[in-house]
Amino acid sequence: MTEQGVTSVTDQGPTIRIDEPRAGDAPSETTAVDGHVVFDVRDLSVYYGPFRAVRDANLHIRQHEITAFIGPSGCGKTTVLRCFNRMNDFIETARVEGTINYHGVDLYDPQVNSTEVRRRIGMVFQKPNPFPKSIYDNVAYGPRLAGMKKKAELDDVVEKSLRGAALWDEVKDRLKNSGLGLSGGQQQRLCIARAIAVDPEVILMDEPCSALDPIATARIEDLMQEIKSKFTIVIVTHNMQQAARVSDRTAFFTTEVNPESDRRTGVLVEYDLTKKIFSNPGDERTEQYVTGRFG
Amino acid sequence: MDELRRTYHDDLSQAKDELVRLAAVVTESIPRATAVLLDGDLEGADYIIRGDDEIDARALDLEEHCYQILALQAPVATDLRQVVALTKMVAEVERSADLLCNICKAARRIYGHELDPKLRGIIARMGEQAQQLYDAAIESFVENDAAKAAAVDDMDSYLDGLQKQFVQAIFESHAAGRIDLQVAVQLAVVARFYERIGDHAVNIGERVRFVVTGWLPEHKGAARFKYRTDVTGEIPRIPAASLPDAADGHD
Repeated sequence: MTEQGVTSVTDQGPTIRIDEPRAGDAPSETTAVDGHVVFDVRDLSVYYGPFRAVRDANLHIRQHEITAFIGPSGCGKTTVLRCFNRMNDFIETARVEGTINYHGVDLYDPQVNSTEVRRRIGMVFQKPNPFPKSIYDNVAYGPRLAGMKKKAELDDVVEKSLRGAALWDEVKDRLKNSGLGLSGGQQQRLCIARAIAVDPEVILMDEPCSALDPIATARIEDLMQEIKSKFTIVIVTHNMQQAARVSDRTAFFTTEVNPESDRRTGVLVEYDLTKKIFSNPGDERTEQYVTGRFG
Repeated sequence: MDELRRTYHDDLSQAKDELVRLAAVVTESIPRATAVLLDGDLEGADYIIRGDDEIDARALDLEEHCYQILALQAPVATDLRQVVALTKMVAEVERSADLLCNICKAARRIYGHELDPKLRGIIARMGEQAQQLYDAAIESFVENDAAKAAAVDDMDSYLDGLQKQFVQAIFESHAAGRIDLQVAVQLAVVARFYERIGDHAVNIGERVRFVVTGWLPEHKGAARFKYRTDVTGEIPRIPAASLPDAADGHD
């Protein structure tokens, strides 16, 4: 964020300045009373060629909250997540309908610079993917790309980011070693450090713990709680207990089968406080999924 | 639709069935305890009192079974409410069985004393009403019927009324010299036992409503308290709990 309360997602063409939404701007009863809306998703449909992968999703992602997306395979949760930082742009046939407003700015507005979007909205993937570089260079990569050159500044960012990812104490004496030499859990925390080094506002996590053992998973989950006061986190997880443990709100997606084409389309069934979803969900389909009566 | 986690759901069903079995034993024992009291059936009293150990053992097993389900299966949503409700309901059933023992012990204490027809009539009606309450509560549990469960609370007021009538009849009987003070006290306590069995049935009904809807009657009191503290500025009497901040809750 460039200034307090003001955000810019363009660095080409006219800059769009956006004031943070006020509580009174809330477009629905569930908005803003609990926190600023970062993403306002309206009637979102995502197509891959002629095939509609997700249909008419509506939800708000709130600032400094952890939002979990759960649902069976093919329900569109990762597809929706990837819309938040325009990762679907890399898929030629992908097309988005509806709107995703990020602090009031349409993310898919042609004036919006998708690279800047990805700087503000970082991503951590299922498989830890450190660059084949040193631990230091992994974290310094983003800031260097952004133009940071002074060693003292870079040192500072690297330390801050590694501390932020709860990895500093484990690697501070071997920053020149390859990131690929770390354990799986450490590599994933390195990726989180790399994501937060460019000072994003949002971190998207696509099944960040599915390749990790339970202890490494617990570390990442703890880390998420620690950093959520600074970031807004959206996590896709196959592990319902993980969603229950870490998230403030949960969105449950499922699939609908088109009887004619036999193709499956993802739909957002229910979006509510996590404690509600896992104690007394409002939709029968959510109930059946979380209790394991449907899969 | 594919049924997943079948073993776990069978496990849950077994826990539910066990609660129903234990509650059925209590329901059937209510008329027996009443007969013990009215007929001075000392053997029957012994049978019910000895049987309580078995209820205790089975209730303990069921409670441990529930803890196992919680620890191993991490139930959520309706399943979670059901397991939590079972741990509460089993305590209600176990306590009701204790109260039936107490009725039998009272029957031993007043053995040989004649009771007048009015007292006997009200005792019989209290027994019948307590049994009906228990029946309705357990039926509502078996059928997951929140409306039937809510009716148990209304049915209980009739039993409460019988208790009041009975206490009045005890006074009259004692004043007329038909029962001595010791018997009068025992009978008053017996009336209280029936009334408490009814209350336990009501509590079971409330837990059934919780399983079906997630609602508990205490929500009403909590809402009144919130209104008084928020709107009228009433100061809570209990020091606030120092709950961890959500952000620090995972330390």
